[in-house]
Amino acid sequence: MNAPIDTSRRPAPEVLAAVLGELATRFGERAVVNASVREQHGHGEGLADAALPDVVVFPHTNEEVAAIVKICASVRVPVIAFGVGTSLEGHVAAIHGGVCVDLSQMNKVLEINAEDLDCRVQAGVSREQLNAELKGTGVFFPIDPGANATLGGMAATRASGTNAVRYGTMRENVLGLTVVTADGRIVRTGGRARKSSAGYDLTRLYVGSEGTLGIITEVGLRLYGVPEAVSAAVAQFPDLRSAVHTVIVAMQMGIPVARIELLDDVQMDACIRYSKLDGYEAKPTLFFEFHGTQAGVAEQAGQMQALVAEHGGGAFRWATAPEERTKLWKARHNAYYAGLALKPGSFGFATDACVPISRLADCVLETRADVDATGLVCPIVGHVGDGNFHLVVLFDPNDPAEREKAEGLARRVSSRAIAMGGTCTGEHGVGIHKLDALVAEHGEAVDLMRTIKRALDPLDIMNPGKTVPRQETGAH
Amino acid sequence: MADLDIAGVQEAIRRAAAVRSPLRIVGGATKDFYGEKLVGDVLDVRELAGIVDYEPTELVITARAGTPIDEIESAMGASGQMLAFEPPRFAPGGTLGGAIASGLSGPRRPYAGAARDLVLGVKIVDGTGRALSFGGRVMKNVAGFDVSRLMTGAMGTLGVITEVSLKCLPLPRTEATRLFAMSADESIRRVNEWGGQPLPLSATCFHQGQLAVRLSGAPSAVAAACAKMGGTAVEDTEGLWTSVRDQTHAFFAGAAAARAPLWRLSVGSTAPYTDLGGEQLIEWGGALRWLASTPRTDLARVRAWASSHGGHATLFRAADKPSDVFHPLPPTLAELHRRLKATFDPNGILNRNRMSTAF
Repeated sequence: MNAPIDTSRRPAPEVLAAVLGELATRFGERAVVNASVREQHGHGEGLADAALPDVVVFPHTNEEVAAIVKICASVRVPVIAFGVGTSLEGHVAAIHGGVCVDLSQMNKVLEINAEDLDCRVQAGVSREQLNAELKGTGVFFPIDPGANATLGGMAATRASGTNAVRYGTMRENVLGLTVVTADGRIVRTGGRARKSSAGYDLTRLYVGSEGTLGIITEVGLRLYGVPEAVSAAVAQFPDLRSAVHTVIVAMQMGIPVARIELLDDVQMDACIRYSKLDGYEAKPTLFFEFHGTQAGVAEQAGQMQALVAEHGGGAFRWATAPEERTKLWKARHNAYYAGLALKPGSFGFATDACVPISRLADCVLETRADVDATGLVCPIVGHVGDGNFHLVVLFDPNDPAEREKAEGLARRVSSRAIAMGGTCTGEHGVGIHKLDALVAEHGEAVDLMRTIKRALDPLDIMNPGKTVPRQETGAH
Repeated sequence: MADLDIAGVQEAIRRAAAVRSPLRIVGGATKDFYGEKLVGDVLDVRELAGIVDYEPTELVITARAGTPIDEIESAMGASGQMLAFEPPRFAPGGTLGGAIASGLSGPRRPYAGAARDLVLGVKIVDGTGRALSFGGRVMKNVAGFDVSRLMTGAMGTLGVITEVSLKCLPLPRTEATRLFAMSADESIRRVNEWGGQPLPLSATCFHQGQLAVRLSGAPSAVAAACAKMGGTAVEDTEGLWTSVRDQTHAFFAGAAAARAPLWRLSVGSTAPYTDLGGEQLIEWGGALRWLASTPRTDLARVRAWASSHGGHATLFRAADKPSDVFHPLPPTLAELHRRLKATFDPNGILNRNRMSTAF
């Protein structure tokens, strides 16, 4: 699943020396060549794809980011944007070397307009930091990928999370961006108005472009009123099929559940151990959360309880107190680490299939059978309300045969999703791992994506080698 | 049959591209008034019609671009679902392709999503005649660049949309509209306040001292919200919102009768009410202001006011249009537009000058 790293594209030593000199002059101690810092910036989470940048720079302003890009553009050196390194598909690996732009020091919340339900932040603000600063204003930002990612990184990867069913993903919640283009100019897309752009929706083009078209330096976001009532509940099921069917029917009935998450027996077992969830069994489980007015929450929960019972699920176990809810969702967010702890010493990576709701049961159950046939340990966890689920594929890095089995399984999960009219990636993105799957999914359309890349980054310096494969598909 | 039709579109585009002769993409021709110029030979896509796939339990509908919006809505309505962006019908015969290409959304937009938020995938023929598919039928897809959203609102300048997949939402179980007498300033303050509360708002409209607010959802939630908010009931809820959506409301009818140029101002929702030299109708919780201009309207001031409130102003309808109906773009953004246009349509044949006199 890793694209071979093409070292011929690394910058020549004399070019690099000149760039390092310019960066050192301008940024002083904020241009770091120290090996451990470069090491830390050479990979995200997920599989270790360590490919080190030649230097890591810590800008503070849009203008500084623009200056870095201009320096790199003048000599055609790669520029890789970095938030906190929580992406999963090798997005930040410096596969051709170059300059890593670490935006974590651009961490100011620039504006909060609680009345207008919007805010503007620098790219390095993390989602938890934003919500901490929103405390007491009566509004919150709902998108919550597992990691405490930066909002710039979340915009760049079009992230989502457990709240997507009700609040959408970054796609629906970014109002506008400040972007440094591949030639080092600063542009502002969108604004505070709801339908804010005159002209093409460039905001939506940059959201999810994984740093390949420009560097996102500021993000305008939509906020939501804190619901009057929030209630979380857990239901356990005798088998996976009944748990998945409960979700499908709930979606089809349009019950406005805020969160609905599936954990299979293996994942539940892992979470019980890792997050010390007492009183649960290692059975297929759904976590729910309801947001709204007191009356609305009671009504939604009542409908949901009836559905659970119809599908053979057990009684609701409520988590209404904030600390109980926090514990529950923390356990959900730590599912990946809990999975890794099932098999100490193993590596793990997550698959990311997303299929039409009506195919969800088929896809999850076929995948479960596929896992069982391989003998691998792979918990299943997912935001099943939108058809998206993950396998955490665990394997022994010192056992090439097991690794091959793991990679084969992941490829089959992607092709199965595509064959069912779905996608190989619902939320993690393409990075370097899903380039082949992208072609399988989109065919010739990938050629047009490549021309967009060329049009906006003619020198191929913005996070090169990611998101869109360089080779033509040869489909015409 | 469908393939033949698309092959026909490809053939027409290839022929036009070879001689750089512009094509004007037409569906129901219900929005000819919108945009800059109508240039080129008509490419009528109405024959690319029909619902391709609608399984209500999937919460997705896929239809060809020439399918009339009314046909789609009645199919969905029969299954208790809706196009949540409430595409406007300015005249009978509007098509799905036109609704998506224009990217215009109706009263429900701030609360249930814009056209672009509900588009899951599109098929297009680009300016070189390639038939391409982007996105798909799933709720979330991060495989590559988000071209389906880029096509939404691009006014047909980047490709001929041939098929669209949209997310379906359930029809609200009940709807009610409350009416309040208040000033424009007060209405903007109140709708923004309500917007931050857990109330099932689904549309707002202020006109001539009256604020109408629609509530949609579960009967208990709507009843509770009506009780909490007060106001008086509007009998013909559907009639009112249809007239706002389709611009048959007295405000729009009056502007049309007076031949008053109609401006569409998209701004931050709390922008204070400002007299811009004409009557206004305010939708979307304050974020959309319609202005029926008069001789005392200063166009430069309208644009400056919209910009200073985080938005832009479009000359939506006018008998005589100047050459910049859309808000001018800053030079760097304009250049990105030109590059994207050249990517999708290197010969500049698709809806030439419809969005910008520059391309």
